[in-house]
Amino acid sequence: MIAPRPYALLAEITYRCPLHCPYCSNPTQTQNDQELTTNEWTRVIREAAALGVLQIGFSGGEPLARRDLPDLVRAAREANLYTNLITSGIGLDDDRVGALRDAGLDSVQLSFQSDNTDLADEIAGARAHQRKLDAAAKIRAAGIPLSLNFVIHRRNIDRLAEMIALAESLHAERVELANVQFYGWAFLNRAALLPTREQVVRAREIATAAKARLAGKIDIFYVLPDYYENRPKPCLNGWGQRYLTVNPIGDVLPCPTASSAIPDLRFENVRARELDWIWRESESFNRFRGTEWMPEPCLSCPQREIDFGGCRCQAALLTGNAGNTDPVCELSPNRAAVDAVLREVDSLGYPSPDWTYRTNPTTLPVAATAGAARR
Amino acid sequence: MQTPTIDGSAQPRLARGVRLQTDSKTGNRVLLFPEGVLELNETAQEIVSRCDGRTVAEIVQALAEEYDADPQMLGADVQETLANLQQRKLIELT
Repeated sequence: MIAPRPYALLAEITYRCPLHCPYCSNPTQTQNDQELTTNEWTRVIREAAALGVLQIGFSGGEPLARRDLPDLVRAAREANLYTNLITSGIGLDDDRVGALRDAGLDSVQLSFQSDNTDLADEIAGARAHQRKLDAAAKIRAAGIPLSLNFVIHRRNIDRLAEMIALAESLHAERVELANVQFYGWAFLNRAALLPTREQVVRAREIATAAKARLAGKIDIFYVLPDYYENRPKPCLNGWGQRYLTVNPIGDVLPCPTASSAIPDLRFENVRARELDWIWRESESFNRFRGTEWMPEPCLSCPQREIDFGGCRCQAALLTGNAGNTDPVCELSPNRAAVDAVLREVDSLGYPSPDWTYRTNPTTLPVAATAGAARR
Repeated sequence: MQTPTIDGSAQPRLARGVRLQTDSKTGNRVLLFPEGVLELNETAQEIVSRCDGRTVAEIVQALAEEYDADPQMLGADVQETLANLQQRKLIELT
Protein backbone atom coordinates (compact mmCIF):
# COMPACT_ATOMS: atom_id res chain seq x y z
CA MET A 1 0.00 0.00 0.00
CA ILE A 2 1.26 3.50 -0.83
CA ALA A 3 1.54 5.55 2.34
CA PRO A 4 -0.02 9.03 2.35
CA ARG A 5 2.00 11.93 3.72
CA PRO A 6 1.63 12.85 7.39
CA TYR A 7 0.65 16.39 8.40
CA ALA A 8 1.24 16.48 12.14
CA LEU A 9 3.63 15.03 14.67
CA LEU A 10 2.67 14.78 18.31
CA ALA A 11 5.93 14.88 20.25
CA GLU A 12 5.29 13.48 23.72
CA ILE A 13 8.63 14.56 25.12
CA THR A 14 8.11 13.31 28.67
CA TYR A 15 5.51 11.44 30.72
CA ARG A 16 6.51 13.41 33.83
CA CYS A 17 3.80 15.81 35.03
CA PRO A 18 3.23 17.86 38.20
CA LEU A 19 -0.53 17.26 37.97
CA HIS A 20 -2.49 14.10 38.71
CA CYS A 21 -5.61 14.44 36.56
CA PRO A 22 -7.64 11.22 36.66
CA TYR A 23 -8.77 11.77 33.03
CA CYS A 24 -5.23 11.65 31.62
CA SER A 25 -4.91 9.54 28.48
CA ASN A 26 -1.28 8.63 29.17
CA PRO A 27 -0.57 4.94 29.77
CA THR A 28 -0.96 3.92 33.42
CA GLN A 29 2.34 2.06 33.24
CA THR A 30 5.24 4.03 31.81
CA GLN A 31 8.99 4.02 32.00
CA ASN A 32 10.81 7.30 31.85
CA ASP A 33 14.44 6.44 32.35
CA GLN A 34 15.27 6.39 28.65
CA GLU A 35 13.81 9.67 27.40
CA LEU A 36 15.11 10.75 24.01
CA THR A 37 17.93 13.29 24.18
CA THR A 38 17.86 16.77 22.65
CA ASN A 39 19.91 15.55 19.70
CA GLU A 40 17.64 12.58 19.13
CA TRP A 41 14.54 14.80 19.15
CA THR A 42 16.21 17.23 16.76
CA ARG A 43 16.83 14.38 14.34
CA VAL A 44 13.23 13.16 14.69
CA ILE A 45 11.94 16.67 13.97
CA ARG A 46 14.03 16.95 10.79
CA GLU A 47 12.97 13.50 9.63
CA ALA A 48 9.32 14.39 10.25
CA ALA A 49 9.60 17.61 8.22
CA ALA A 50 11.22 15.68 5.35
CA LEU A 51 8.31 13.26 5.45
CA GLY A 52 5.85 16.13 4.91
CA VAL A 53 4.87 17.01 8.46
CA LEU A 54 3.81 20.68 8.75
CA GLN A 55 2.85 20.87 12.42
CA ILE A 56 4.33 19.71 15.68
CA GLY A 57 2.60 19.57 19.04
CA PHE A 58 4.87 19.37 22.07
CA SER A 59 3.01 17.40 24.65
CA GLY A 60 3.49 14.86 27.41
CA GLY A 61 3.15 14.58 30.39
CA GLU A 62 4.11 18.16 30.95
CA PRO A 63 6.54 19.26 28.22
CA LEU A 64 7.82 22.13 30.40
CA ALA A 65 9.35 19.45 32.62
CA ARG A 66 12.11 19.27 29.99
CA ARG A 67 14.59 22.14 30.22
CA ASP A 68 15.52 21.78 26.54
CA LEU A 69 12.01 22.63 25.30
CA PRO A 70 13.09 25.98 23.75
CA ASP A 71 15.86 24.15 21.86
CA LEU A 72 13.33 21.70 20.47
CA VAL A 73 10.96 24.52 19.47
CA ARG A 74 13.83 26.26 17.70
CA ALA A 75 14.74 23.05 15.85
CA ALA A 76 11.12 22.70 14.74
CA ARG A 77 10.94 26.28 13.49
CA GLU A 78 14.19 25.79 11.61
CA ALA A 79 12.50 22.81 9.94
CA ASN A 80 9.63 25.18 9.00
CA LEU A 81 7.09 23.45 11.27
CA TYR A 82 4.20 25.18 12.99
CA THR A 83 4.89 24.76 16.71
CA ASN A 84 2.22 24.31 19.36
CA LEU A 85 2.88 23.79 23.06
CA ILE A 86 0.27 21.67 24.85
CA THR A 87 0.75 22.43 28.53
CA SER A 88 -0.70 22.61 32.03
CA GLY A 89 1.11 25.93 32.40
CA ILE A 90 2.85 24.76 35.57
CA GLY A 91 6.44 25.94 35.40
CA LEU A 92 5.77 28.67 32.87
CA ASP A 93 7.56 31.63 34.48
CA ASP A 94 8.58 34.87 32.71
CA ASP A 95 11.99 33.52 31.70
CA ARG A 96 10.56 30.43 30.08
CA VAL A 97 7.81 32.29 28.25
CA GLY A 98 10.46 34.64 26.90
CA ALA A 99 12.74 31.79 25.87
CA LEU A 100 9.89 30.00 24.10
CA ARG A 101 8.77 33.14 22.31
CA ASP A 102 12.34 33.86 21.21
CA ALA A 103 12.61 30.29 19.94
CA GLY A 104 9.62 31.03 17.68
CA LEU A 105 6.79 29.22 19.44
CA ASP A 106 3.64 29.77 17.37
CA SER A 107 0.90 28.92 19.83
CA VAL A 108 0.11 27.62 23.30
CA GLN A 109 -2.74 25.33 24.29
CA LEU A 110 -3.28 25.68 28.01
CA SER A 111 -5.33 23.13 29.91
CA PHE A 112 -7.82 24.00 32.64
CA GLN A 113 -9.75 21.59 34.84
CA SER A 114 -12.62 23.97 35.67
CA ASP A 115 -13.36 27.68 36.06
CA ASN A 116 -13.71 27.15 39.81
CA THR A 117 -10.48 27.07 41.82
CA ASP A 118 -11.49 24.48 44.41
CA LEU A 119 -12.96 22.07 41.88
CA ALA A 120 -10.07 22.59 39.45
CA ASP A 121 -7.48 21.88 42.13
CA GLU A 122 -9.38 18.84 43.30
CA ILE A 123 -9.45 17.41 39.78
CA ALA A 124 -5.76 18.20 39.18
CA GLY A 125 -4.78 16.77 42.56
CA ALA A 126 -2.64 19.88 43.07
CA ARG A 127 -2.94 23.60 43.73
CA ALA A 128 -2.70 24.52 40.09
CA HIS A 129 -5.59 26.75 39.05
CA GLN A 130 -4.17 30.11 40.13
CA ARG A 131 -0.83 29.25 38.53
CA LYS A 132 -2.65 28.50 35.27
CA LEU A 133 -4.37 31.88 35.39
CA ASP A 134 -0.95 33.48 35.89
CA ALA A 135 0.45 31.45 33.00
CA ALA A 136 -2.39 32.59 30.74
CA ALA A 137 -1.57 36.22 31.52
CA LYS A 138 2.12 35.68 30.76
CA ILE A 139 1.32 34.00 27.45
CA ARG A 140 -0.95 36.88 26.44
CA ALA A 141 1.64 39.45 27.54
CA ALA A 142 4.24 37.73 25.36
CA GLY A 143 1.89 38.03 22.38
CA ILE A 144 1.61 34.28 21.83
CA PRO A 145 -1.83 33.07 20.65
CA LEU A 146 -3.66 31.20 23.37
CA SER A 147 -5.99 28.23 23.12
CA LEU A 148 -7.68 26.75 26.15
CA ASN A 149 -8.46 23.10 26.60
CA PHE A 150 -11.02 21.75 29.03
CA VAL A 151 -11.46 18.02 29.38
CA ILE A 152 -15.14 17.60 30.20
CA HIS A 153 -16.36 14.85 32.50
CA ARG A 154 -19.02 14.07 35.04
CA ARG A 155 -17.61 16.29 37.77
CA ASN A 156 -17.19 19.50 35.72
CA ILE A 157 -19.62 19.20 32.80
CA ASP A 158 -22.35 21.15 34.63
CA ARG A 159 -20.05 24.21 34.63
CA LEU A 160 -19.57 24.31 30.88
CA ALA A 161 -21.07 27.81 30.52
CA GLU A 162 -18.78 29.15 33.27
CA MET A 163 -15.74 27.50 31.66
CA ILE A 164 -16.55 29.17 28.34
CA ALA A 165 -16.89 32.48 30.21
CA LEU A 166 -13.39 31.93 31.66
CA ALA A 167 -12.03 31.47 28.16
CA GLU A 168 -13.66 34.75 27.13
CA SER A 169 -12.22 36.61 30.10
CA LEU A 170 -8.73 35.27 29.34
CA HIS A 171 -9.06 36.42 25.69
CA ALA A 172 -8.37 32.98 24.31
CA GLU A 173 -8.46 32.65 20.53
CA ARG A 174 -9.63 29.04 20.63
CA VAL A 175 -11.31 26.75 23.11
CA GLU A 176 -11.40 23.02 22.96
CA LEU A 177 -14.25 21.53 24.99
CA ALA A 178 -13.21 17.92 24.92
CA ASN A 179 -15.53 15.35 26.36
CA VAL A 180 -13.25 12.84 28.04
CA GLN A 181 -12.20 9.93 25.85
CA PHE A 182 -11.53 6.70 27.66
CA TYR A 183 -7.91 5.64 27.36
CA GLY A 184 -5.10 5.26 29.88
CA TRP A 185 -5.99 6.70 33.28
CA ALA A 186 -9.37 7.83 31.97
CA PHE A 187 -10.27 4.25 31.07
CA LEU A 188 -9.31 3.18 34.58
CA ASN A 189 -11.53 5.96 35.99
CA ARG A 190 -14.39 5.61 33.55
CA ALA A 191 -17.13 5.01 36.12
CA ALA A 192 -16.23 8.25 37.90
CA LEU A 193 -15.78 10.33 34.75
CA LEU A 194 -18.52 9.33 32.32
CA PRO A 195 -21.30 11.95 32.39
CA THR A 196 -24.97 11.01 32.43
CA ARG A 197 -27.07 11.32 29.28
CA GLU A 198 -28.92 14.26 30.80
CA GLN A 199 -25.64 16.08 31.41
CA VAL A 200 -24.44 15.37 27.87
CA VAL A 201 -27.63 16.70 26.26
CA ARG A 202 -27.45 19.94 28.24
CA ALA A 203 -23.74 20.42 27.57
CA ARG A 204 -24.26 20.02 23.86
CA GLU A 205 -26.92 22.75 23.87
CA ILE A 206 -24.62 25.10 25.78
CA ALA A 207 -21.66 24.41 23.47
CA THR A 208 -23.76 24.86 20.33
CA ALA A 209 -25.17 28.18 21.54
CA ALA A 210 -21.72 29.44 22.58
CA LYS A 211 -20.24 28.44 19.24
CA ALA A 212 -22.83 30.53 17.41
CA ARG A 213 -22.57 33.45 19.83
CA LEU A 214 -18.76 33.61 19.71
CA ALA A 215 -18.27 32.90 15.98
CA GLY A 216 -15.43 35.02 14.64
CA LYS A 217 -14.34 35.85 18.20
CA ILE A 218 -13.45 32.53 19.80
CA ASP A 219 -13.23 29.37 17.76
CA ILE A 220 -14.97 26.66 19.81
CA PHE A 221 -14.16 23.05 19.10
CA TYR A 222 -16.45 20.55 20.79
CA VAL A 223 -15.22 16.97 21.06
CA LEU A 224 -18.23 14.64 21.18
CA PRO A 225 -18.82 12.21 24.03
CA ASP A 226 -18.53 9.22 21.73
CA TYR A 227 -20.11 6.60 24.02
CA TYR A 228 -23.36 8.54 23.58
CA GLU A 229 -23.10 8.70 19.78
CA ASN A 230 -24.58 6.21 17.33
CA ARG A 231 -21.65 6.26 14.96
CA PRO A 232 -17.96 6.23 15.84
CA LYS A 233 -15.55 9.14 15.63
CA PRO A 234 -13.32 9.30 12.53
CA CYS A 235 -10.34 8.52 14.74
CA LEU A 236 -7.10 10.15 13.47
CA ASN A 237 -8.79 10.64 10.08
CA GLY A 238 -7.78 7.05 9.52
CA TRP A 239 -4.91 5.01 10.92
CA GLY A 240 -1.53 6.06 9.52
CA GLN A 241 -3.11 8.74 7.28
CA ARG A 242 -2.29 12.15 8.73
CA TYR A 243 -0.82 11.82 12.20
CA LEU A 244 2.04 10.20 14.02
CA THR A 245 3.15 10.29 17.63
CA VAL A 246 6.61 9.80 19.07
CA ASN A 247 6.52 8.99 22.78
CA PRO A 248 9.15 9.92 25.39
CA ILE A 249 11.29 6.83 24.81
CA GLY A 250 11.15 7.11 21.01
CA ASP A 251 8.46 4.61 20.12
CA VAL A 252 6.57 5.75 17.02
CA LEU A 253 2.82 5.33 17.35
CA PRO A 254 -0.04 5.80 14.87
CA CYS A 255 -1.99 7.07 17.89
CA PRO A 256 -0.75 8.20 21.34
CA THR A 257 -2.86 5.66 23.18
CA ALA A 258 -1.99 2.69 20.97
CA SER A 259 1.02 1.53 22.97
CA SER A 260 -1.09 0.71 26.01
CA ALA A 261 -4.41 -0.11 24.34
CA ILE A 262 -3.06 -2.49 21.69
CA PRO A 263 -0.36 -4.54 23.42
CA ASP A 264 -0.08 -7.11 20.62
CA LEU A 265 1.10 -4.52 18.11
CA ARG A 266 4.88 -4.10 17.95
CA PHE A 267 5.97 -0.47 17.66
CA GLU A 268 9.22 0.69 16.10
CA ASN A 269 11.66 3.03 17.80
CA VAL A 270 13.46 6.05 16.32
CA ARG A 271 16.69 4.83 17.88
CA ALA A 272 16.62 1.81 15.59
CA ARG A 273 14.84 3.02 12.46
CA GLU A 274 14.33 6.16 10.40
CA LEU A 275 10.94 7.80 10.66
CA ASP A 276 10.37 7.51 6.91
CA TRP A 277 10.68 3.71 7.02
CA ILE A 278 8.50 3.44 10.11
CA TRP A 279 5.75 5.55 8.53
CA ARG A 280 5.80 3.77 5.18
CA GLU A 281 6.85 0.23 5.87
CA SER A 282 6.27 -0.78 9.49
CA GLU A 283 3.68 -3.36 10.38
CA SER A 284 2.22 -1.12 13.09
CA PHE A 285 1.42 1.70 10.65
CA ASN A 286 0.16 -0.60 7.91
CA ARG A 287 -2.00 -2.93 9.99
CA PHE A 288 -5.09 -0.71 9.90
CA ARG A 289 -4.26 1.58 6.98
CA GLY A 290 -6.96 2.01 4.34
CA THR A 291 -10.02 -0.25 4.30
CA GLU A 292 -8.70 -3.71 3.47
CA TRP A 293 -8.28 -4.75 7.11
CA MET A 294 -11.92 -4.02 7.89
CA PRO A 295 -14.39 -6.63 9.09
CA GLU A 296 -18.09 -6.39 8.40
CA PRO A 297 -20.18 -4.32 8.98
CA CYS A 298 -17.42 -1.78 8.11
CA LEU A 299 -16.12 -3.33 4.89
CA SER A 300 -19.33 -2.82 2.93
CA CYS A 301 -20.45 0.27 4.86
CA PRO A 302 -20.97 3.50 2.87
CA GLN A 303 -19.43 5.34 5.85
CA ARG A 304 -16.16 3.39 5.77
CA GLU A 305 -14.13 6.25 4.29
CA ILE A 306 -15.86 8.77 6.55
CA ASP A 307 -15.39 7.24 10.01
CA PHE A 308 -12.76 4.62 9.10
CA GLY A 309 -14.42 2.09 11.41
CA GLY A 310 -13.83 4.35 14.40
CA CYS A 311 -11.07 3.95 16.93
CA ARG A 312 -8.73 0.94 16.98
CA CYS A 313 -7.76 1.53 20.60
CA GLN A 314 -11.40 1.64 21.67
CA ALA A 315 -12.11 -1.58 19.80
CA ALA A 316 -9.17 -3.20 21.59
CA LEU A 317 -10.14 -1.91 25.04
CA LEU A 318 -13.84 -2.81 24.79
CA THR A 319 -13.83 -5.95 22.63
CA GLY A 320 -10.33 -7.32 23.10
CA ASN A 321 -9.57 -7.03 19.37
CA ALA A 322 -8.23 -3.85 17.76
CA GLY A 323 -9.44 -5.13 14.37
CA ASN A 324 -13.12 -5.03 15.33
CA THR A 325 -15.56 -2.28 14.45
CA ASP A 326 -15.49 0.44 17.11
CA PRO A 327 -18.26 -0.78 19.47
CA VAL A 328 -19.65 2.76 19.69
CA CYS A 329 -21.15 2.12 16.24
CA GLU A 330 -24.81 1.09 16.40
CA LEU A 331 -24.06 -1.48 13.67
CA SER A 332 -21.30 -3.13 15.70
CA PRO A 333 -22.13 -6.58 17.08
CA ASN A 334 -20.43 -5.35 20.28
CA ARG A 335 -22.50 -2.19 20.86
CA ALA A 336 -24.02 -3.90 23.91
CA ALA A 337 -20.67 -3.45 25.69
CA VAL A 338 -21.03 0.35 25.45
CA ASP A 339 -24.72 0.32 26.38
CA ALA A 340 -23.92 -1.71 29.49
CA VAL A 341 -21.46 0.99 30.60
CA LEU A 342 -24.04 3.74 29.99
CA ARG A 343 -26.69 1.83 31.98
CA GLU A 344 -24.23 1.39 34.83
CA VAL A 345 -23.56 5.13 34.96
CA ASP A 346 -27.27 5.93 35.00
CA SER A 347 -27.73 3.60 37.97
CA LEU A 348 -24.82 5.05 39.97
CA GLY A 349 -26.48 8.30 41.03
CA TYR A 350 -24.64 10.83 43.19
CA PRO A 351 -22.06 11.26 44.49
CA SER A 352 -20.05 9.83 41.63
CA PRO A 353 -17.57 7.10 42.49
CA ASP A 354 -14.02 7.88 43.58
CA TRP A 355 -11.25 8.02 41.05
CA THR A 356 -7.59 7.09 41.06
CA TYR A 357 -5.25 9.99 40.55
CA ARG A 358 -2.61 9.79 37.85
CA THR A 359 0.87 9.14 39.18
CA ASN A 360 4.23 9.75 37.58
CA PRO A 361 6.38 7.17 35.83
CA THR A 362 8.44 4.77 37.92
CA THR A 363 6.29 5.34 41.00
CA LEU A 364 3.58 2.86 41.89
CA PRO A 365 -0.01 4.05 41.43
CA VAL A 366 -1.42 5.22 44.75
CA ALA A 367 -5.15 4.90 45.18
CA ALA A 368 -6.24 8.35 46.29
CA THR A 369 -9.85 9.35 46.20
CA ALA A 370 -11.74 12.49 45.32
CA GLY A 371 -13.25 12.32 48.78
CA ALA A 372 -9.84 12.28 50.42
CA ALA A 373 -8.75 15.30 48.40
CA ARG A 374 -11.74 17.27 49.61
CA ARG A 375 -10.87 16.77 53.25
CA MET B 1 -25.36 29.73 7.65
CA GLN B 2 -26.13 33.32 6.76
CA THR B 3 -22.83 35.14 6.35
CA PRO B 4 -22.77 38.87 7.01
CA THR B 5 -21.48 41.09 4.22
CA ILE B 6 -17.98 42.39 4.76
CA ASP B 7 -17.50 46.08 4.27
CA GLY B 8 -15.43 47.03 1.22
CA SER B 9 -13.25 49.28 3.33
CA ALA B 10 -12.34 46.52 5.81
CA GLN B 11 -8.71 45.39 5.82
CA PRO B 12 -8.37 41.62 6.11
CA ARG B 13 -5.15 40.26 7.62
CA LEU B 14 -4.03 36.85 8.77
CA ALA B 15 -5.15 36.35 12.37
CA ARG B 16 -2.57 36.13 15.11
CA GLY B 17 -0.94 32.72 15.23
CA VAL B 18 -1.84 31.90 11.61
CA ARG B 19 0.97 31.33 9.12
CA LEU B 20 0.79 31.27 5.32
CA GLN B 21 3.39 28.90 3.98
CA THR B 22 4.27 26.89 0.91
CA ASP B 23 3.88 23.15 1.36
CA SER B 24 7.16 21.73 0.09
CA LYS B 25 5.47 18.43 -0.80
CA THR B 26 2.86 19.92 -3.13
CA GLY B 27 4.00 23.47 -3.86
CA ASN B 28 0.54 24.67 -2.73
CA ARG B 29 -0.01 27.45 -0.27
CA VAL B 30 -1.37 26.36 3.11
CA LEU B 31 -2.57 28.13 6.22
CA LEU B 32 -1.10 26.75 9.43
CA PHE B 33 -2.82 27.40 12.75
CA PRO B 34 -3.14 25.68 16.13
CA GLU B 35 -4.16 22.06 15.54
CA GLY B 36 -4.84 22.61 11.87
CA VAL B 37 -3.68 22.87 8.29
CA LEU B 38 -5.87 24.35 5.58
CA GLU B 39 -4.89 23.72 1.98
CA LEU B 40 -6.00 26.75 0.02
CA ASN B 41 -7.70 26.32 -3.32
CA GLU B 42 -6.58 28.55 -6.17
CA THR B 43 -9.14 31.28 -5.47
CA ALA B 44 -8.34 31.34 -1.76
CA GLN B 45 -4.59 31.46 -2.47
CA GLU B 46 -5.05 34.52 -4.68
CA ILE B 47 -7.15 36.26 -2.06
CA VAL B 48 -5.16 35.36 1.05
CA SER B 49 -1.84 36.32 -0.50
CA ARG B 50 -3.28 39.83 -0.92
CA CYS B 51 -4.42 40.17 2.71
CA ASP B 52 -1.52 42.49 3.43
CA GLY B 53 -3.19 45.67 4.58
CA ARG B 54 -5.21 46.28 1.42
CA THR B 55 -8.95 46.79 1.72
CA VAL B 56 -11.48 44.26 0.46
CA ALA B 57 -12.40 46.65 -2.37
CA GLU B 58 -8.73 46.96 -3.37
CA ILE B 59 -8.28 43.20 -3.37
CA VAL B 60 -11.35 42.75 -5.59
CA GLN B 61 -10.09 45.43 -7.96
CA ALA B 62 -6.60 43.94 -8.15
CA LEU B 63 -8.00 40.48 -8.91
CA ALA B 64 -10.49 41.83 -11.46
CA GLU B 65 -7.67 43.55 -13.33
CA GLU B 66 -5.34 40.60 -13.14
CA TYR B 67 -7.91 38.07 -14.37
CA ASP B 68 -9.95 40.43 -16.53
CA ALA B 69 -13.04 39.38 -14.61
CA ASP B 70 -16.34 41.00 -13.67
CA PRO B 71 -15.74 42.78 -10.33
CA GLN B 72 -19.26 42.03 -9.14
CA MET B 73 -18.96 38.27 -9.65
CA LEU B 74 -15.47 38.31 -8.21
CA GLY B 75 -16.63 40.41 -5.28
CA ALA B 76 -19.08 37.70 -4.26
CA ASP B 77 -16.31 35.08 -4.34
CA VAL B 78 -13.99 37.25 -2.28
CA GLN B 79 -16.75 37.95 0.24
CA GLU B 80 -17.56 34.29 0.60
CA THR B 81 -13.93 33.22 1.01
CA LEU B 82 -13.13 35.96 3.53
CA ALA B 83 -16.29 35.36 5.55
CA ASN B 84 -15.47 31.68 5.71
CA LEU B 85 -11.89 32.33 6.84
CA GLN B 86 -13.06 34.90 9.37
CA GLN B 87 -15.58 32.48 10.88
CA ARG B 88 -12.70 30.09 11.43
CA LYS B 89 -10.61 32.86 12.96
CA LEU B 90 -7.96 32.54 10.26
CA ILE B 91 -8.26 36.16 9.18
CA GLU B 92 -9.10 39.31 11.12
CA LEU B 93 -10.80 42.40 9.76
CA THR B 94 -9.63 45.82 10.89
